[in-house]
Amino acid sequence: MNPNTNQRKKIIYALAIVILFGGMFRYSAWLTKLKRDKDLGEAAIGQVDAGSFMMKLFLLGGFRGIVADILWLRAEENKRDHDWDRLKTNVELITKLQPHFLSIWTFQGWNLAYNVSVEWDAPEDKYEWIKQGIKFVQEGVEKNRHSPDLVWDSAWFYYHKLGFADEAIILRRLFRDDEEYGFKTYLDPETSQPVVGDDNFKLGYGWFSRAVGMVDRGENRLLSGTSDEIQYVDATPQKKGRPDDIAFRSMPAHGQTRYAAAVEKMSVYGVPARFGEFAKNEWAGALREWVKLGSHPYMSHNEIPRNGKLERDEIRIDDSTDPERYNKLNDNQKYWTARWADQMNYRYWKDRCRAEMTDQGVKARSLFYDGTVAYKTGDFVTAAAKFKEGLQVWKHLLDEFPAYRDDELNKKDTGLIASRYLRVLKQLGDNSAQDFPFKDLAALVQNDKTPDPFDVLEMLGVVNDPTAQSAPAARPSTAPAQPAAKK
Amino acid sequence: MSGLLTIPLLWAQAGGATAPNAAAAAPAPPTLNISPQWIPALKWLYLSGDPTFTTPDLQGAVLTWLKALSLLCLIGWIVSWLVIGIKERVVGQGKWFDYIGVAALVLTPISMMLRVLESVKRIPIFSIAGVRTTAIVFFLCVACYIIWIEIALARSVRRSGKKLDGLVIIALHVALVFGLVMGIVLQRIGFLALVLPIPPNFKLTWREGLIYGVRLSGTFMGYFVFLRVLTICLKEIVGVRARRLYSIARLSIYEANRRMWAPWVVLTVFLLVLAFTHWFLQPPRAAEMGRLYVGTLTLLCSILLTVMVTILTPLSLPTDIQQQTIYTVVSKPTRRLELIWGRMIGYMTLVTVLVVVFGGISLAYLWRTVRTTIDNTYAAAEKAKKENRLTEYKLLMEQADQLSTRMSARVPVKGSLSFLDSRGVPHAMGIDVGQDQSMKEPRSHIEGATPSAAIWSFGIVPDPFTPPGRPPIPLDRRIPVSSFLHEGTVESALDKVYNLQAQIDADKATKNQPNLPASRVSQLDASIARNEDELKRARAEYDTLLKKVDDLRTQAAKAQAEGNTAEVKRLREEAALHSSPDILVEMSFNVYRTTKGRVGDPVFAEITARNPRTGREYLGDVFAIKEYYTNRVKLPPWLLAGSNGALRVEIRCMSPTQYLGMAESDLYLLLPPGTFGWNYMKGLFGIWLQAMVLTAIGVCAGTFLSWPVALLTTIFFFVAGQLAFAFLVDFSRQAIMGGGPFESLIRLLTHDNQMSDITPTAGVVLAKTLDSLVMPLMSMLVYVVPNFQALDLSNMVADGYMVSWQTLGVDSLLALAYALPFSLLGYLILKNREVAA
Repeated sequence: MNPNTNQRKKIIYALAIVILFGGMFRYSAWLTKLKRDKDLGEAAIGQVDAGSFMMKLFLLGGFRGIVADILWLRAEENKRDHDWDRLKTNVELITKLQPHFLSIWTFQGWNLAYNVSVEWDAPEDKYEWIKQGIKFVQEGVEKNRHSPDLVWDSAWFYYHKLGFADEAIILRRLFRDDEEYGFKTYLDPETSQPVVGDDNFKLGYGWFSRAVGMVDRGENRLLSGTSDEIQYVDATPQKKGRPDDIAFRSMPAHGQTRYAAAVEKMSVYGVPARFGEFAKNEWAGALREWVKLGSHPYMSHNEIPRNGKLERDEIRIDDSTDPERYNKLNDNQKYWTARWADQMNYRYWKDRCRAEMTDQGVKARSLFYDGTVAYKTGDFVTAAAKFKEGLQVWKHLLDEFPAYRDDELNKKDTGLIASRYLRVLKQLGDNSAQDFPFKDLAALVQNDKTPDPFDVLEMLGVVNDPTAQSAPAARPSTAPAQPAAKK
Repeated sequence: MSGLLTIPLLWAQAGGATAPNAAAAAPAPPTLNISPQWIPALKWLYLSGDPTFTTPDLQGAVLTWLKALSLLCLIGWIVSWLVIGIKERVVGQGKWFDYIGVAALVLTPISMMLRVLESVKRIPIFSIAGVRTTAIVFFLCVACYIIWIEIALARSVRRSGKKLDGLVIIALHVALVFGLVMGIVLQRIGFLALVLPIPPNFKLTWREGLIYGVRLSGTFMGYFVFLRVLTICLKEIVGVRARRLYSIARLSIYEANRRMWAPWVVLTVFLLVLAFTHWFLQPPRAAEMGRLYVGTLTLLCSILLTVMVTILTPLSLPTDIQQQTIYTVVSKPTRRLELIWGRMIGYMTLVTVLVVVFGGISLAYLWRTVRTTIDNTYAAAEKAKKENRLTEYKLLMEQADQLSTRMSARVPVKGSLSFLDSRGVPHAMGIDVGQDQSMKEPRSHIEGATPSAAIWSFGIVPDPFTPPGRPPIPLDRRIPVSSFLHEGTVESALDKVYNLQAQIDADKATKNQPNLPASRVSQLDASIARNEDELKRARAEYDTLLKKVDDLRTQAAKAQAEGNTAEVKRLREEAALHSSPDILVEMSFNVYRTTKGRVGDPVFAEITARNPRTGREYLGDVFAIKEYYTNRVKLPPWLLAGSNGALRVEIRCMSPTQYLGMAESDLYLLLPPGTFGWNYMKGLFGIWLQAMVLTAIGVCAGTFLSWPVALLTTIFFFVAGQLAFAFLVDFSRQAIMGGGPFESLIRLLTHDNQMSDITPTAGVVLAKTLDSLVMPLMSMLVYVVPNFQALDLSNMVADGYMVSWQTLGVDSLLALAYALPFSLLGYLILKNREVAA
């Protein structure tokens, strides 16, 4: 080949490369600007992950769906073989490949927190896996910052999996002792500052509030405004956080209420209950949350023809607790207000917070707690006195809050105390048909198959050292240490 | 012969697990109407003849390999002569017999379609003289094939074959007749009924005899062809010279380095991935970190090396042929086999160097990351203890222990597991609590606070799965006593005393038998006298040692009372020198709770152990079961003295209403562990073997395919063997739901699930017909695709178990079983190819 031709070719190639790069530079600058304007880049959706980027690059985009499917199948096999750690590794690899596919975070986070944790026998191991599940979903939150779904899932795991399990009080103790502060941090809804909480319900409250806040700001998987212009081939449905979802919006109030109630019981293994101003403040906080929920305007589902137009009415469920405001509403508003207040049992919750936050409320709870401690430690005389006094205070208080008093939830709750009192009287040999407030409610809980785990477990460890585990005594070895030889 | 003892194992597989106590109720086993001296010969004949019948030992594996290879040789030999016949125009020229061949070709799909139509009930079942028409058409078709092949073979061999090929044809006919006759004979004397997994009341007829006769004939015919192929290769193998192999190997290494920079690329990628492992791998719970990291690193080595070999090897020969550089090589006095083996040696040298380098780097990496985690976890545990967080302290300690355990090379001694139910009745299996039985090792359960127990028996023990009514099959699960009882210790001396006493008792018992010849009696007398002398010496030695240890312990106790800690330590250490260490038992059971119980309380188990020969017992240790963690218990070493390797370990669940689940490998005694690093390198040897098989396949494919096709072929083998082997095995057993490829395609398109019966439309019938034609051919692939998963030792290393030399030996044989035939096939092809003509 002619050396000149060769030289010329090289120069042409080099020029072509330079021109293409020049063109690309302009093009990519334009593309970056567009992405920024439309808020479409990786960084806009969530945190950019180098490993994820590299894996996608290696698998040339198109294969990642297949690889993710294979990994998912592997994860299912791992689950069948009880190979939990490999399961987690495989699941994490899927999220590297498809970090913005929300279902994987929700599905596998649930898998870890619920299905894997239940397979382990020791509460410490269960806790470890629930934590892994929560952290997994939170990683999803980092990668999809605008998705209320995953924030809600985190909140639910804190609230429900840690707080409602059979081992709840042990799990809550483990949570309290956890030294990983990042795991116990939530954004305070009022100050927007990060706070380290020692209670899973408080964390649930914080994360639920965050999800509600995001929905109020109109956030979606992508930033608001952008999602309208995008046509998904296969859109991930947003399951949680439609603005008109009352149940979704009620969760911060539930979280805070549950926390306030838990404070007044031994709901953390080996940690005594707290009363006084602290308890009152927490109940006041719960009331604020319920009122906030009740004051949020919802639009009625039906449309009424008025002035030649079809109109929807604004509904605030808090109106159901104020007869004056309620009577001013039109019929349609009355219908929806009453319906949704019933649906949420709103009157009960609001009334309950108002009752519990009073001095009398806290006093009654304190007496019930002392009575129960005395009952479980065998001091029946003290127990009887505490229960008796407590029930009288309680009766006096509840007369002012009929909505709370007459609700089935309260009947069961108060019935439990009444039944404990009856048992104490039985222990004291006091069989006289002594009458006391709420005695009739005791029969309600006799055959209750769904007791609250705290009520069942709250006294575990009142007597024992909370960290020590009892074991049956080992049988002494009957074999001699140094046997004689066979004759 | 040991393998032949296990023939009735098939019964166990057919009948499932049966309780030993059910033996009395079971029907009597079939009997043979033949003189017993013939039975061993018949067993051998059947074992070497039936392609699907094998024994679970080395000899069975080698025979299966020979059978598969012979059958492949037979098919290859027949097909190659038919091709030669057609090329040489001795058949396929429109003679009378060619019409028979065409008729066979036409009848094949017709016969299959008739069968399918019958099975989907589109046509009624017709019979002529008691024989179904479909069977008649099928036999007609087979007969046509046989006639045409016979004629074609005879004509081709006469035209182009050597004398030896003619002899092979005669031998094939002899083998065919012999196999058929033997099939009938085996059925007649009742041998087939003994070995086949058939229901007890099923009567075998001459038809089954004939079918099994055909299977035997096929294998025997294969053996002759195999011998013929061996004669061709042997001459070449004898002619191979080391120096020529060395030159070709050196050339391959240069080529790999120069042409593709392969080793450097692989090394760079390895280092790059290692540097950024934290991008892909989140550190898991501390307990599992070692397992995950070891698994990932071996996987990385495996992927990189096998991919390198897959790309490198099939490119080399075709490029040489294409660029005509092969002329310079083949025109020199180099043998064709040397071309193949030399290349393989060259590439494997590269792989060896890389394996060593990767191993070294990985070990350094593991040392740095995992060791740090172990130290940190222990430190965190200590901190938790100081701050009185005892639950967390326990958890952290357990995690750190688990991690350290995984980073060692444990040598387990496994026993045989059987069960007692809640009434104390023995069973082969425990209670099934309804857990998924498709997991790797399904667990059987025992009930808490009942006589129910799991029993691990060591020594020569009867197989608990022995079918009812059969003599128990012995399993060798002896404990290597000398590894546990160290020489010069009290326990070792006691062992000697027991063994000598047992020997004397046995000799005395023999002597008391009537009609013993005088010479034997005097021999026994001498032995008894000698052993009694020996026993006296042994007992004296034992007494001295025992006294010494007792003294030391007394002194230690005294020193402790005086508060002299240094002296206590010294005395205890000295006493420890004269006694064997405790026997460590490791267990991991799973817990099945019927109620929650008292929340937070663990389930408790009790372990007892008994030496069945001396009757000595160790009664008890109660411990809490920690699910998915390893529970450890120490047994006193004196338990093994005089055991001759036998021991019985029993586990009971102590917590009422709860269940404990276990499988055989969940409890084992632990020998002193080996070094982790060395074990890791053994694990990498598995990858080396995989690379060797792939090299053989790559080089073989390169001998007759152009490089892109050869590359694709090697990739196919790699993927099929690595990912799809289990699927292929299911496929060959036709155990996959939803039919063959064509039927599956229809199901895919019509969105029918795998379970539902699809309507037998014309398309479905056609698909099923095509499937029944294709499936047998595709099933053959399983014999050719190497089982790479079997060579993978990484799980064993990652779980912290020692890879035994025996495992390595078996794996090496398995790899050779694939590599050798592929390399020889490559040679045969290269030999017949006109490379430099």
